[in-house]
Order: sequence, then structure tokens, then C-alpha cells
Amino acid sequence: MGALIKHPSDPFLTTESGQGMDYEFHWNVVFQNMPELLNGAFVTLHVSVLAMLLGIVIAILLAIAKMNNSKPYCYIATTWVEIARNTPALFQIYMAYFGLGALGIHLSPYVAVLSALVFINAGYLTETFRGGFQSIPNTQYSASKSLGMTSIQVYRYIILPQMLRRIYHPMTNQFVWSILMSSLGILVGMGELSGTTQRLQSLSFRTLEFFMVAAVMYFIITKLVLISSSLLSRKLFKGEI
Amino acid sequence: MNSLFTPLSWSDTGFILIGVMNTVTISIVAIVLGTLLGLAVGFLRAESSKVVNVLLGSVLDILRSVPLIIQLILFSTFVGAMGYPLDPFVAGSIILSLYTMAFMSEVFRSGFESVHQSMRTSARSLGMSYWQTIFYIRLPIGLRAVFPSWLGVALSVIKDSALVSVIGYMELLRTSDQLISRTQQPLMILIGVGIFYFIISYPLSSYGRYVERKMAI
Amino acid sequence: MMRKLATSLVLSCIAFTSVNATADQLDTVIQRGTLNCGVVLDFPPMGYFDGNNQPAGFDVGYCNDLAAALGVESNILNLTWGDRIPSLISGKTDVVIGSTSDTLERAKSVGFTYPYFVFKFQVIAPKNKNIQSFDDLKNLKVGAALGTTYETEYLAYAEKKGWGTDNYTAFKSENDAYLGLYQGKVDAVISTNTNIATKLQSAEFKDFAAGPFVPNYDDVVGLIAKRSEGAWISYLNLFLVHQIRDGNMNTHYNKHFGSDAPADLIQSLRDNK
Repeated sequence: MGALIKHPSDPFLTTESGQGMDYEFHWNVVFQNMPELLNGAFVTLHVSVLAMLLGIVIAILLAIAKMNNSKPYCYIATTWVEIARNTPALFQIYMAYFGLGALGIHLSPYVAVLSALVFINAGYLTETFRGGFQSIPNTQYSASKSLGMTSIQVYRYIILPQMLRRIYHPMTNQFVWSILMSSLGILVGMGELSGTTQRLQSLSFRTLEFFMVAAVMYFIITKLVLISSSLLSRKLFKGEI
Repeated sequence: MNSLFTPLSWSDTGFILIGVMNTVTISIVAIVLGTLLGLAVGFLRAESSKVVNVLLGSVLDILRSVPLIIQLILFSTFVGAMGYPLDPFVAGSIILSLYTMAFMSEVFRSGFESVHQSMRTSARSLGMSYWQTIFYIRLPIGLRAVFPSWLGVALSVIKDSALVSVIGYMELLRTSDQLISRTQQPLMILIGVGIFYFIISYPLSSYGRYVERKMAI
Repeated sequence: MMRKLATSLVLSCIAFTSVNATADQLDTVIQRGTLNCGVVLDFPPMGYFDGNNQPAGFDVGYCNDLAAALGVESNILNLTWGDRIPSLISGKTDVVIGSTSDTLERAKSVGFTYPYFVFKFQVIAPKNKNIQSFDDLKNLKVGAALGTTYETEYLAYAEKKGWGTDNYTAFKSENDAYLGLYQGKVDAVISTNTNIATKLQSAEFKDFAAGPFVPNYDDVVGLIAKRSEGAWISYLNLFLVHQIRDGNMNTHYNKHFGSDAPADLIQSLRDNK
């Protein structure tokens, strides 16, 4: 490819084939901007936690609506779930940002990404919750009732613990997915980890360094989430899942 | 002076069709390659020792724990810096296939492991060789069991293919982005794009759930 | 006969590899027969898509002139601001003609040519906002494209005046910033005088007006190429000199700005500042 300037400290340089690493890494600029990157990582975590919490609340409502036999609610819930599951996240974010903007509804980049993530999380979790609920046979309910439990007791001690056990793992996956997908904030100028990375690399033009660090940060964040999730599950379910 | 903003016209149909075709092409490439690689890796993981498993697992882990968009930018920049500039389609196909592989391998691994040890042993006791049990017993039974999950991953690949636009591949969302800039009419164009994805994805996902229900019974 | 053939084969192999080993970007482009030229196509009139979805603009004209000078085909690649460097490092582009501000920080990473254009940073806002001075932006929602020099300038100014960043919105591209302004997401956008003048000529932006300039700042931009490609960069420098000397610069200016290139612009380019 290009002519290479020999640099003794660069192990990638080869002259025979003309191929090789034509790039010198400058890490200083990344370390100087570490506070900004960490701040971006915080925003990423922030938006995905919020998207998860709101998504769970809406998903519970939608799951109830879907299992309910009253038609209008069931239709709304079904439409929501199907649109969320069958269109790309990138599309949802564009729609929330510029699509709604055309109607005069102006969301900030943060809110646009948040609402797109909530929309999708709710769509996927609805099915998870419904599946979890339906997996517990009705006979358990009647059996507990016949033992003299009240409805609240049945849910509190019999139904919900079993349901939580079934939906715990899919929920963790959905959370990791939200963290990864919040990176699409880069496309609407949001200041989360990817957006911050993009801005910093534009200023210094150190693309590889900044994106490598961002990749490592995402990896650490998702690992931390997975580890704490499995610790929590051990505590909740006493090891049996 | 040229006019900057021109409304959407029929002559843009060809342009949109290119975007549609590119989305379809890269999705098919990624699903096919991802499935084949995933099948191989899933089999390896189901069969091999703990050490190999941990090594393979950690590589797959990276692919699953770093956002696709970052993987695309890093890979495309890195191979270029190494002196092998790749066409956006090639770079996009490679990363999207590997990403697909990471998820497919888990699907197939669970498929292989779903075939119970007793069934394998009885197949062997009937005089089948190791490879015969794989091709006639474990593959057909295991694959059938994981079909709905396979379809789920394939559908998410179609949707994730939209991200290849960041390295310059003119797929559907990038063509529409360009048209939005020219027409300043995002709503109509975006709704059109949404309908396209929905039309492809909805029938397949409904079919997947139908199969799942049938198998559950 | 066979021996002769073998010798010539070996010799040509040696010749080929030695050519290859010293081939720089300039040779590569000539041998390849195509110039991969990166342009930011959402920055009219420097680069944009015309009604047929084809690349057009001042920078595109420069790409075509450069390809013609090299005697090769011109291949235009559409980039966003953020793509410019990755595209060079990854070898997708040979040169980026994309209004790149020649900051010393960036020059640590890529090679800049002499300046080829000078912009002013300016505010565009709806007429009814009635913005007289840059300080009127204080309580307005301001937008700009992510990672641009005018974003940096605005943020520096806002910090100096203690405005904070709550009113600022970044967009992934220039077009998105204008779309946001058009939709009313932001009250004002910072962009270049050239882009603003072009936008104001269209019916869509008839209710908007060009506002004050960013104080004390000239945006001097150059072409960029790989930092290590010294010979290639000197070729590009000579090309820029010829664009002015041969009148091509003026032709493109006329085509895209509707007048002759101003004398002070030409002079500052000649002075390389």
C-alpha cells in the first residue's frame, strides 16, 4: 500500500510486502480526555437503567392488557409489541427524533434515545412477562386458595416468585441489550459513551484509540451488569434457577 | 444555482430500491455465513473440553458485549490501517457475520446439548458411528428444537443490518437519510422505511411463534 | 529460451516488488487508475446531492479536477464529518476534500495541505428571533454538527460567558442540524457563511436569516491525506496552487456562489494562511 516511514519501535512495520501498520498510536490524548469518556459511560448506564425501569412498568401494563379480553386494550398492546419487535432500533430512534420533530414534538437527543429504548424494551418484555405468567398453571392458584390463602398471598408467595425466576434471565439479557443499543445515541448527537467518543475523535482525529477505549468500557459495563445480576440471582433464588 | 431541496419524486424509486436490495443482500450474507460458522462453533463448544470452551467463549463474549456500531467502526478502521482497506460491504459482511455467529453458536450449542445422552448412547449401541449419530440423530433433532431461536437471531440480524450504514454502506436507512436531507420530509420517508422492515419481519416472527407454540404442545 | 524466460520473469518480479516497496500514494493512485476522493456531501455548496442523487458541489469539482490532473477516474465517496479520518486511515480514501479545519491538534494525526478555502462561522436563525450579536444566543437553543470546529468555538465561547451547555444540541451531521432548525428543535444553528447563504436561497428557509459571525475566527481549511505521504501532499499542494493559477478555483466559485472569488480570499490562499 503506502510507502512506510520506518520506525524502529513499531513491531507491525514490515518493508518486504509494503504492507503493515501505517499508524502510530497516541494514547496521551485519550488519557487526557478520560473524565469526559467516563462521564459518557455514566450517561450510557443512566439512560439504559432508566429505559429498563420504565420498560418494565409499561411491559407489565401491556402484558395485563394482552391477557385481558377487552378488545381495544388488547389491540393497542399487540400493535405496540409487534412494531417494537419488527423494526430496527435505529429506525425507532430516528422516528423519535426527526419523525416526531416533523409533527412539532421536540425531544432532546437523550429523551429521544430513552423513549426509543423504552418502547423496544416494553415490546420485548411484554412477551417475556406474558410467557412467564402463563407458564404457571392455574391449578396452583386453586390449590393455594383451597389451602386457605388469600389472593394476595397466593401471588406474593406462590405465583410471583416462580414467575420472577422464569423472567429473570431474559430480563438481564434485555438490560444488556439496552446498554449496547444506547450506543445508537451517536446518530442523534447524544453525549453518551459512543457520542462522546465520536466527538473526541473528531477533535483530535485519533479514531482507533478512542474507539478501542470505548469498546473496552462497554465490555466492562456489560460484564459488571452480568456479574452483579448473577450475584443477585443467587441471593434471590438461593442458587436454584 | 442548483436547488438544494427537491421533493421526493418517482425517479427516486430506483434509488430506494438500491437501498432495499443492499439491506436484503447483506442480511442474507450475514445470516448464511453466521449460521454456518455458528453451527461449527456451536458443535465445537458442545463437544470440546473445558479449556477450549473457555477460550472460544471469551472471544464470543467480546462480540456480544461490545456494541455492533463500535465493532464496525473499529474493524473497518483497523484493517484499513493495517494496509487492507475493505469495501464497506465486505467489512460490514464480515463483522455482521461474526456478530451473528456469536449468537447462533449459543443457539446451536443448546440444540446439540438438547439431544439427551441416552439417545446418543442408544444410537451408538445400534451400531452407528460417531459421525452417523451426529448427522442422523443429533443434527436433525437438535436443529428442529432450536428453529424458533434461530429465526429470532436471523430476524435481529435483518434489523441490525441497518447499522452497517455507519461505515458507508448504502443500505435502506442510509438511502432514506440522504433523501430526508434533500426533501426535509422525514416523517413520510421514515414511515415508509418502517413499513418495509415490518413487512419482512412480521410474517417471519409470527411464523416463529407459531412453530414454538406447536412444539410446546 | 526457457532460461531467458525464467530470468526475465525473475527480473520482472524483482522490478515489480522494488517498485511496490517504494510506491507511495501518488504512484498507487496512478497505477490504480482511480482517485478515491472523500467529500462531505451534506455541506452545500461545498458538497451535496443534486436532484438526481448524484454528488455535486465545490469540493466535488476539486476532486474531479484532481483526478483529471492525475489522468485517472474520479471516485467520490460520501463522508460525514466524523468519517473523514477513519476513511483515510482505513485507506478507503486517498484524499479528503472536505473543508477540514487545519488545527495543530489534528495535524498530529493527519497531513494537511495548504489552505484551499476560508470560511466564516455564522449563526442562522428564524427571522423573528432577531439575533443581532453573538451574545443574543445566551438563552436560545443552539445546535451544530458534532465534532466540527464551530461546535468547539461555540462551546468555548459559551463556557467563557458562563452560559453552560444545557442549551446546546449536537447533531450527527450538518444536514441533521439544518433539519433540526427547520423543524424547530433548536432556535439557531452555527454553520459556515457559505452553507448558510446557500440554504437561504431555497424556499424552505425563507423565514430564516443569517445572524452574527462567531467573533474573531476565520476557519482555514485544507485537504487532508495520510500524514506519512509527504510526496503525495506536495503534489496536492501544487495542485491547489494550480487551481488558483489556472482559474479553476474561480470557475467553481462562480458556479457555486454566483460571483467571482473575492480578492481577499484568493490573497489569503496565496499567502497560505
